[in-house]
Amino acid sequence: MTTVVLPPQTGSARTAEPLIEVRNLRVTFPSSNGEPKEVLKGIDLAVQPGEIVGLVGESGAGKTTMARSILGLPPPPGRISAGEVLFEGRQILKLSEPELRGLRGRRLSVVVPNPRAELNPLLTVGRQIASMARIHLNVGSQEAQKMALQILRDVQIPDPERRLNAYPHELSGGMAQRVVIAMALICNPAFVISDDATSGLDVTVQAQILDLLAKLAADQGSAMLFITRDVGITAHFCSRTAVLYSGEIMEMASREDLFLRPAHPYTLMLLAAFSHSPTLRESWSVPDTGVRRQTRAGCQYAQRCPIAQPVCRAERPAFAEIAPGHFARCHFPVRPA
Amino acid sequence: MFRKLGLLARLAALRPRFAAGYIIVTAIALLAIAAPWIAPYSPTEADSVSFLQPPSAAHLFGTDNVGMDIFSRAIYAPRIDLTIAILGTLLSALVGGTIGALVGFYSTGRGIRVWLSFAVMRAADVLQAFPVFVFAIALVASLGQSIQTVVLAIAFVNAPIYLRLMRSQVLSIRSMRYVEASQVNGLSDLRTIVRHVVPNAMAPVLAQLSVNVGWGILLTAALSFVGAGVRAPTPEWGSMIAMGFQNVVTGQWWPSMFPGAMLAITVFGFSLVGSSIEVLADPAKRRQLLAEARERSESRRARREAV
Amino acid sequence: MSVLFYLGKRLVFVVPQLLGIVLVSFLLVKSIPGDPAVLMLGPTATPSAIAALQQQLGLDQPLYTQFLIYVRDLLHGDLGTSWQTTRPVLEDLVQRFPATLELVTYSLVLAILIGVTLGVYAARNPSGWVARVTDFYGISAGALPDFWFALVLIFIFYTVLGWAPAPLGRIDMIVLPPMPVTGALTIDSLLAGDFEAFKSACAHLVLPVLTLGLLNAGPILKMTQSTMEKMLEADFSRYEVLCGVPQRLVVRHALRNALPSIVTIISVLYGFLIGGAVLVEIVFSWGGAGQYAVQGVLNSDIYPVLGFVLFSAVFSLVVYIVVDLIYFLLDPRITN
Repeated sequence: MTTVVLPPQTGSARTAEPLIEVRNLRVTFPSSNGEPKEVLKGIDLAVQPGEIVGLVGESGAGKTTMARSILGLPPPPGRISAGEVLFEGRQILKLSEPELRGLRGRRLSVVVPNPRAELNPLLTVGRQIASMARIHLNVGSQEAQKMALQILRDVQIPDPERRLNAYPHELSGGMAQRVVIAMALICNPAFVISDDATSGLDVTVQAQILDLLAKLAADQGSAMLFITRDVGITAHFCSRTAVLYSGEIMEMASREDLFLRPAHPYTLMLLAAFSHSPTLRESWSVPDTGVRRQTRAGCQYAQRCPIAQPVCRAERPAFAEIAPGHFARCHFPVRPA
Repeated sequence: MFRKLGLLARLAALRPRFAAGYIIVTAIALLAIAAPWIAPYSPTEADSVSFLQPPSAAHLFGTDNVGMDIFSRAIYAPRIDLTIAILGTLLSALVGGTIGALVGFYSTGRGIRVWLSFAVMRAADVLQAFPVFVFAIALVASLGQSIQTVVLAIAFVNAPIYLRLMRSQVLSIRSMRYVEASQVNGLSDLRTIVRHVVPNAMAPVLAQLSVNVGWGILLTAALSFVGAGVRAPTPEWGSMIAMGFQNVVTGQWWPSMFPGAMLAITVFGFSLVGSSIEVLADPAKRRQLLAEARERSESRRARREAV
Repeated sequence: MSVLFYLGKRLVFVVPQLLGIVLVSFLLVKSIPGDPAVLMLGPTATPSAIAALQQQLGLDQPLYTQFLIYVRDLLHGDLGTSWQTTRPVLEDLVQRFPATLELVTYSLVLAILIGVTLGVYAARNPSGWVARVTDFYGISAGALPDFWFALVLIFIFYTVLGWAPAPLGRIDMIVLPPMPVTGALTIDSLLAGDFEAFKSACAHLVLPVLTLGLLNAGPILKMTQSTMEKMLEADFSRYEVLCGVPQRLVVRHALRNALPSIVTIISVLYGFLIGGAVLVEIVFSWGGAGQYAVQGVLNSDIYPVLGFVLFSAVFSLVVYIVVDLIYFLLDPRITN
């Protein structure tokens, strides 16, 4: 059990310069009693160009905070208290606001959940998509309109010419989701964060949107951080997946390792919840007590962990590499039998 | 109650403008009470020899065109203005608020009461559609010019505000489930409403009261300015401004400027008090205020340590 | 089609509202003491002459009959006669209302310019000094008595500096007013090509417009600031920032979303100022409609008061309907 934290590496032998590197990102929120509450407790993550990395977490784990903080915009009243994000080797959190805005939407973009609440209600969808092209790619309005139409076709929206002049409240959830995907992809960004992009959607629509995202990412060669609540989805196209709990990454593994040889008790619980084996479900599914008290010392999962020992409550486990490319933050990671 | 006062004191310390508001209001109230002991001259006695004297040691604010000392009159004036404004505002809150609460209570349910509440709301609409000043002045003219009618005019003009305020308070309380659950019979309804509505409504009503007292003073002064309010020679800021009106044009600014300045400062103080109550009552704004103050003291400490 | 339907719905409510206003003002004004017949004929009138005039005016009838007579006359365009000016009230108001309207409109434009600009700026930089000045301005603007502030301005700019003309009406007495087309001196003088009159009218407008504009910018300022803050913190604004939209565009879009609330308060203020400009009219001897009504009250001349109340109520209602129509046409969410 070492205390040295190794930067996460891909399962493959590639050691190229990561496209996005998150180092010790900490985000705090003020709380009613004055003591700031840490929502992200030192996140380390790297994504290679063209790679699709998954991030799984339950509600309240810090998924949206993470998605927005990577672009330097933690949801208010949150603040980034420590850490750095490197994009193509540059420290982007230290950039000035105008410089950051040049990057956002152009080279780094986010696909947001709940799109109808996020789109401007007074502008047509076409104008909002086209404005991305006009602002970032410096094209004229006619050209931007054409690009907007094309990207609407790419996201497989039915009847795209009419939809260009539609207002957000006139669209269904699935269509609005395609619109924000279009907005995130129209400038051909190098890195796309998909924040729970399919929550609240119909199951069939979910599947369509997921396939669409994967295809577009592959076509454009963008890297993606795919954030979701459902661990099963990551099996489709994430080459690596990280498991987020209470603001910390508990496990990071390739798709194979995660599903066949899960090491962290929390990952096991996630997988077991969907499992067919009743014994597995019983042993690993511990109900959420709902009490999210600020646990400073020790492992954040100790309260819910069925195999927690005294040392777990006392000492925070290090993010150790238990197998090549497979990391877990646990004093007693589960070894394959 | 004392906890609230303590919080108020801390708030006042946090934002100096709130402190200023309370200081102003207290000062004016003290002036009103202590005027007979502070004023160097009688407010209604005219010294016909020394009229339109500029400010001097003998006459701090100068004298007006009939020879009365402006300073004495100016500090006697709050007695009338404050009394009228406070009485009128309290009356409007009491009458308007009670009617509003009843309307809110009876706006759903059986038959004629619903119609009555609807009618009352439409009547309030009509009342509020009137040009305020013309209405007030017409009221004063029809009931006879006296202090009581000015009080009534203020009450009438402001009552719709409290009517709507209490009505919306009652309606929002009613929509909460636990109140619905405790409704068994008519008597307990009223008690429930009172028990739940009053503490919630305290803060917005108090804030509104404070601001309204300020407006009431303005309206009293305006009425007196056109000659429909408090009559001369009773010292009142508005009538004093009217008396000095022509003199301003010819260069003697003191008969009108000083009373007007005091009037403005007083109303300003009441508005500050009102906005401080608003911030105190809203937990979100309160937190923001405390956070700001903490940041400020932290940065001050950091700067001190850096030195 | 739906526009007309919407208009029709609104107009249906207007009639009973107007009736209610007329009724209440009628009752109020009737309770003002003072016999109009006596006042009109003067102190030397004989009792029989007074009685004859009373019968002619219908003052000997019961109250409700008088009301019905008044309403009937109203529908014929007869608002009664003012005993002070001895002219029909409608004529007097038609002459004076444009004066008030001109003053109030220019003042409102100034108030909007100040209020919206400062409000947007303060919302963008909530911790800057502009925000603090704005807060102070918002509160003090509502605290200053307009008639006193007008006097302050007169003292500074006329008595001391001599820049402004004397506060004696809308135009220099030696200048001939232009042919009344709209009733607004600025417009009429431009239409007639009379630049002397135009300059004079503008010069006389400066101080009263400054008074009303500066003081009434307060409510607009506060509403703009609070609504803009809400819009800038709304989800869609944050999303725009997330997409890298430059700040001035984000602010512009937020302003567009904030317009309904701002326009609402402007319309309320517009209706309010028609009656609320009275004191300023008196200070500047403006000859406006509000001043006319106040003189009516003070002299027990009731028809001018009724007429003015009606005019301002109708004006308010028209403004509200126009504003609602604008919303209806602009906001894509309402059309369905």
